[in-house]
Amino acid sequence: MKQNLKTGRWMFGPGIAFGALLLTSPTAATAEVSDAAFNALKDAVQKLSEQVQSLTQTNQLVQQQHEKDVQKLQELQAKLAETQQTAADADQKSTAAAQAAAQPAPRSPIDEATVNHNFQILGDAEFQYVNADHQNGAFLLADFAPIFLYRGGDNILFEAGFDTSIANNAPNGGDHNTTFNLSFAQLDYVLNDYMTLCAGDMLLPLGTYSERGAGWLNKIPDDPLAVDALLPGSGVGAQLRGAVPLGDTGKLFNYSLYCVNGPGSADGTGNAGSLDLGGNVGLRSDGAVANLHNNPGGGARFAVFLPFYKPRYDLELGVSAEASEWDNAGSHLWTAGVLDASLHLGPNFELKGEYIATRFGSDDFGTINQNGWWVQAGYKLAGLNVELPGLNNLELLGRYDSLHDGLGTTTDRYTIGAVYYVTTALLLEGDYEFIRSTDPTQPSNQLILQISYGF
Amino acid sequence: MTTLKSFKTRGRIALGALLLGALASSLWAAEPAAADGSATNAVPAAVKPHLTGAELYSIHCNRCHAERYPTERTAAQWKTIMLHMQIRANLPGKQARLILQYLQENSGR
Repeated sequence: MKQNLKTGRWMFGPGIAFGALLLTSPTAATAEVSDAAFNALKDAVQKLSEQVQSLTQTNQLVQQQHEKDVQKLQELQAKLAETQQTAADADQKSTAAAQAAAQPAPRSPIDEATVNHNFQILGDAEFQYVNADHQNGAFLLADFAPIFLYRGGDNILFEAGFDTSIANNAPNGGDHNTTFNLSFAQLDYVLNDYMTLCAGDMLLPLGTYSERGAGWLNKIPDDPLAVDALLPGSGVGAQLRGAVPLGDTGKLFNYSLYCVNGPGSADGTGNAGSLDLGGNVGLRSDGAVANLHNNPGGGARFAVFLPFYKPRYDLELGVSAEASEWDNAGSHLWTAGVLDASLHLGPNFELKGEYIATRFGSDDFGTINQNGWWVQAGYKLAGLNVELPGLNNLELLGRYDSLHDGLGTTTDRYTIGAVYYVTTALLLEGDYEFIRSTDPTQPSNQLILQISYGF
Repeated sequence: MTTLKSFKTRGRIALGALLLGALASSLWAAEPAAADGSATNAVPAAVKPHLTGAELYSIHCNRCHAERYPTERTAAQWKTIMLHMQIRANLPGKQARLILQYLQENSGR
């Protein structure tokens, strides 16, 4: 702007001189003008014209430069605005990041890609002290039972459970031996939401105890008499199982259908004492692969699970059965039927039990009918709402079980006990059993103390 | 034999008394009164249209064992364990997934 003013002043001076010449020209026109004066005037006008032309060019250059400067200034202003916006955005992001860092990150499942396969060990361990009348009290390692799980995707699971225990050798035999038994080993394939195919050495759904009552799951250290004596714990074969929801309130219909080798004969004969409920695994000691009898066995369990009122209030009722040949000749049939029930009334009361009946033919005793039952109740004293140290961790238990082996021996057992929950997984269990049996070798009373840990 | 019979009778009576006492106590303690003395208005699960993962966790885990804390395992570990429990406890897939979601969201990472 200053340059424009300066340029204007430069042009103003010659303009005044030229005007003065014009004002004086009428007098010159009337007077004689010499050539020298005319030429001098002409030169002066010529110079002035050149100066005007030069100034005009200079002015044009200055104006062009000015326009460039203005354009550059506008560009710089635009860049400044852009820079200021960038700085504002960065500041906003920085503030948001600082706020996010100040808050705990939300819990979210680990990325699926990192957990597509997974190996996991669960299981339980129990250690016991047993003191039965007419016998010396003894500590014993009852069980160490790891369960290995390998998940090969969303639908495939391999699971295997083992039992490890030690026992003295036969009287006067010295030393002790260690046993390492395979409880179950099965491959599971989830076909859909309602059906799973299992194959291998499976825990059998005859009642619920073998699948849900073993180890630390049971609150009384030893198994019901009838479960141990009358039912196979596992079987080698295949199974379809699953559940169908009955509405949206948690009610379920459960089913299991299975085909297994079935029981076998310990010595191949059909004598009653040779019935072997768990030994027919399809592979003989001589390496031959064969069922011990011609035809496999089959079984099923159907149940309804009925939650009511609110969570932890539920009733489950089930019926299950299995039938199979059992002797090598295949001339005798072994059948079993189980009714099971389980009731929960809140978090503190549980009542459950089973009725078990079996029948099998034999060469020496004909048809043998066996039966037994057990009913067990537990009440957690936390339900009393009494604030006494340790009381809320205590559960009182009672069980009555009975066994009729069909060969003349009847045993009834009454058990009272308690569980102290150190944690939900570490249990201190104790029970006292009153045993009344026609078998004179059975003790009359027995104390069992146990530490159980589920992991 | 008379002694045995008498013992069995007393045992059954004692067991029955224990069951009845526990049942009565459980029902009495099941619905505690509110602080102001009025009855609570808990909505029974049976009338809820849909059960949450937390409710299903309470319903199903307690059937066989004491409930384990979600923080005891990581999200990846729960995925494998829930597949095992879905099969062992005969749970429908949808319910098992809701329980898994609850366990993972509250897991020990």
